[in-house]
Amino acid sequence: MRRNLIRFGLAGVLAAGLLGTAAIVVRPEAPIPVATTDTRPPADVLAQRITRAQQQLRAVPGDWPGWASLGAAYLEQARITADPGLYPKAEEAALRSLRLRPDGNSDGLVVLGALANARHDFGAARDRAREALTVNDHDAGAYGVLADALTQLGDAAGATEAVQRMLDLRPGLAAYARASYDLELRGRVTEAESLMRQALDNAVDPHDVAFCQAQLGDLAFGRGDLATAEAAYAAALAADPSAFGAQHGMARIGAVRGDLSGYGRLVARMPATSTLLEYATLLRVADRQAEADQQIELAAAAEGLFAANGGADGLAAAELALAQGRPEEAVTAARAEWQRRQHPDVADMLAWSLHTAGRDAEALPYARRALAGGSRAAGHAYHLGMIELGLGQPEAARASLARALDTNPYFSPVDGPLARRALAGLRTSGGNR
Amino acid sequence: MTVDTRLRRTAAALGAIALLGGTLYGLGPGTATASSHREAPLVAADPAIDNTDLYAFVSPERPGYVTFVANWQPFEEPNGGPNFYPFATDATYHIKVDNDGDAKPDAEFKWKFRSVDNRGDSTFLYNNGPVTSIDDENLLFKQTYSLQSSFNGEPFKTRVEDAPVAPSRVGAASMPDYGTLRQQATRTLPGGWKIFAGQADDPFFLDLRVFDLLYGGDLSETGQDTVAGYNVNTIALQVPFADVALKGDATRNPVIGVWTTTERDRVRITGGRGSGGKVQVSRLGNPLVNEVVVPASLKDTFNATPPERDAGIPALVKRVLEPEVPKLIESIYKIPAPKTPRNDLAEIFLTGITTKAGGPIKADLNSQLNNADVKASRFRPSEQLRLNLSVPVAGAPDRLGVLAGDLQGFPNGRRLTDDVVDIELQALVGAAQTGKLVDALAAGDAVNTNDQQFSGEFPYVALPNGVAVNSAAKQPATAAKLTGSSPAAAAAPASDTDVAQPAPDLVPVAVVSGATGLGLVIVLAGVFLLLRWYRRRGRGADPDRTLTF
Repeated sequence: MRRNLIRFGLAGVLAAGLLGTAAIVVRPEAPIPVATTDTRPPADVLAQRITRAQQQLRAVPGDWPGWASLGAAYLEQARITADPGLYPKAEEAALRSLRLRPDGNSDGLVVLGALANARHDFGAARDRAREALTVNDHDAGAYGVLADALTQLGDAAGATEAVQRMLDLRPGLAAYARASYDLELRGRVTEAESLMRQALDNAVDPHDVAFCQAQLGDLAFGRGDLATAEAAYAAALAADPSAFGAQHGMARIGAVRGDLSGYGRLVARMPATSTLLEYATLLRVADRQAEADQQIELAAAAEGLFAANGGADGLAAAELALAQGRPEEAVTAARAEWQRRQHPDVADMLAWSLHTAGRDAEALPYARRALAGGSRAAGHAYHLGMIELGLGQPEAARASLARALDTNPYFSPVDGPLARRALAGLRTSGGNR
Repeated sequence: MTVDTRLRRTAAALGAIALLGGTLYGLGPGTATASSHREAPLVAADPAIDNTDLYAFVSPERPGYVTFVANWQPFEEPNGGPNFYPFATDATYHIKVDNDGDAKPDAEFKWKFRSVDNRGDSTFLYNNGPVTSIDDENLLFKQTYSLQSSFNGEPFKTRVEDAPVAPSRVGAASMPDYGTLRQQATRTLPGGWKIFAGQADDPFFLDLRVFDLLYGGDLSETGQDTVAGYNVNTIALQVPFADVALKGDATRNPVIGVWTTTERDRVRITGGRGSGGKVQVSRLGNPLVNEVVVPASLKDTFNATPPERDAGIPALVKRVLEPEVPKLIESIYKIPAPKTPRNDLAEIFLTGITTKAGGPIKADLNSQLNNADVKASRFRPSEQLRLNLSVPVAGAPDRLGVLAGDLQGFPNGRRLTDDVVDIELQALVGAAQTGKLVDALAAGDAVNTNDQQFSGEFPYVALPNGVAVNSAAKQPATAAKLTGSSPAAAAAPASDTDVAQPAPDLVPVAVVSGATGLGLVIVLAGVFLLLRWYRRRGRGADPDRTLTF
């Protein structure tokens, strides 16, 4: 009972964090005084569309494309504000559209598919997308949903094909963004950046600008270019001060420099399990163990809420189990996620959980799998290296660890130094060089 | 009870509390906590490439010249500030002309835009002081364009570079004399070409109040004209007949077909087949075809298809021959749809009106088949806006165009003043087939003209609106037009209600629902107008007129 009370208290902290989030999200913009010029900030076009669409649909409830568009707009809003509270509204709008027009309504199916993706139900998303394509084989949005789903399910070839179809039908920001991610997963980061820059060049909506800049920041960070990454994140935040991806990026850059205040603000705004755990790890390295434990407790509460509401996210669950020193449970969670989908990140999580549980032999194929598609994720290379080290393969370990550090020396304030130490040890203990 | 179950229960209770807490209901099952799941925009704001309307008409004040006006990006809200509406810089904008009827372009005009962005990272503002000329330094974000042309498949030649785009009108304080900016953005090129690109009032007109009557809603809650008060991005071009007519001879070959496209470079991320080439992302010829004729599930196909492939897509052709709108009207209101196949519609949309293709309309007006030098064997039906350049300019244009005996109007090309909604509805219920114009329909939706006056000279379109749409009643000229001549409209307090609302920057649903939403508008407008027509016909108040070609 006492334990529950503690949990209750922690959840209260979590709720306070959420309230703080809301305060940040809705806070008024400060005007910039410039003579004889209209100084209003850019209108939130998406919010306006939603409001107007609601008004119009109240008057004209039979407008089935309007309902689908409203659902899509809700989803975009949910993505931008990281507010899943909009999901039921999006679903309701899409279902209403489909009730009004059950046949020939790819718009409604695309919204349902996108919603399934947002809820991490990637199999359902794939199915909705394919349904939409049987109705309308030129629907670029359906290919977008399909690409997202197949990427997450681990069907890399299928995802690439879907992205290509989307590019063939409707080149533009949405297609470029997916193409960029697809290329990144295949290690073609230069092309990935160039496509994302192309998307940015034509982005008009501040949210889109912020998205592209944040992605460019992540890509730059991924190859260890902190200055470029920071500039991109700053540009993203100039376009949209509440852009979560850019705030996350800035917090990561701050952490590299030993400043964890960005993470503090980040988790206050959005106390998601994985973000809280990242913060906890950083706090632990900074010898702030009590605060680290607090974050882990919060992460556990967040994960509990998520699961209690029917969510299933094996990655977050595995991360939490690792942070709490329960590697076998991490293995169980990661393996369950792997059954659902074979994305490189899941392979990596399963590998690392197995490694932490002392099962390096089992871990190795998954660690290799995480990188097999060509991904240059430094963290994955580090994990592979440590597993190889554990298996007594110094040569392979040296190559993997060097690869991690060459790709991005700042990939992790925790693992980076470990990688360096391991590498140094491998060199002095007489590798082939 | 295990700790774990208790924890889950507590958590569930907390979840419920959170749900009740309004803003706290965020932690649903969909909370994206997995770092790997990268969510990208799906329906990204990309309106700059959406064709809305194409107009083609013989220049009324300049004999021997034809004018094309093409519009993109509907529903630009003139709410000023940092909100502005550039042309896409990674797309090309095209106007294509087919003068020999093979559905391939014989004259092609291509616009490419460039942005000059001096805002830096410090401001999101469009201008930092009054903009009094087109090259004013206070305008922080400018666009310029190049225009290239190609004739008869020859390589493109540049006709102009770095021509200025008329900026988005962002308010009286920022742009005290917008007329000057318009003027400076209108250029004359060697060869007599006139060019313009920039923001303009949307010349399309349509009344959405039909919704109200159909759904029994309260007029005061809905009553906002769909398009009045909104702006578009316009590209206008005026060229001599000889530049677009087959063999340069508009006397022997007066008919041209026109369509406009937006294209982007093809991007490849998979091996093989190489790169290069263009993707047609948007296409437009006749007004409302995408809305009235093409069903939602074929809309994307149509936008991707060049006219030369129209005839090879049975589903598209079928939709012209067996259109959905009259069937829908019949199923709901028991008004018999005209018998199919609708060869009259095929004539209007796919071949042009001619006696040489075996169609039911006994007139020779605007098919390339009527050009003296056209080889009939190479003719291919396709959806184009067809214009006979030899029809004399009408002294007093009739908004119902050809159907009212004014042969210079739609569907013979399209003038800014043509009431294409009413005309196409007439056509869909068979006016062209029966040869009879339904006068009750001609009374129309009480919106018979644009809310802004058109100019008598190039580029003809009205200056962009400068007042936020929902406060448009504050603008005297617009207010007069909005309340219009219809007593019903005058009685509706819609504008006042909207003005009183705190959020003047709303964008109408049609932005969200896009073209298919507009399609629904048309369908509903059709139902409404037909009902009116049906009732009036019962009273015998229908002085039918025979079509005169």
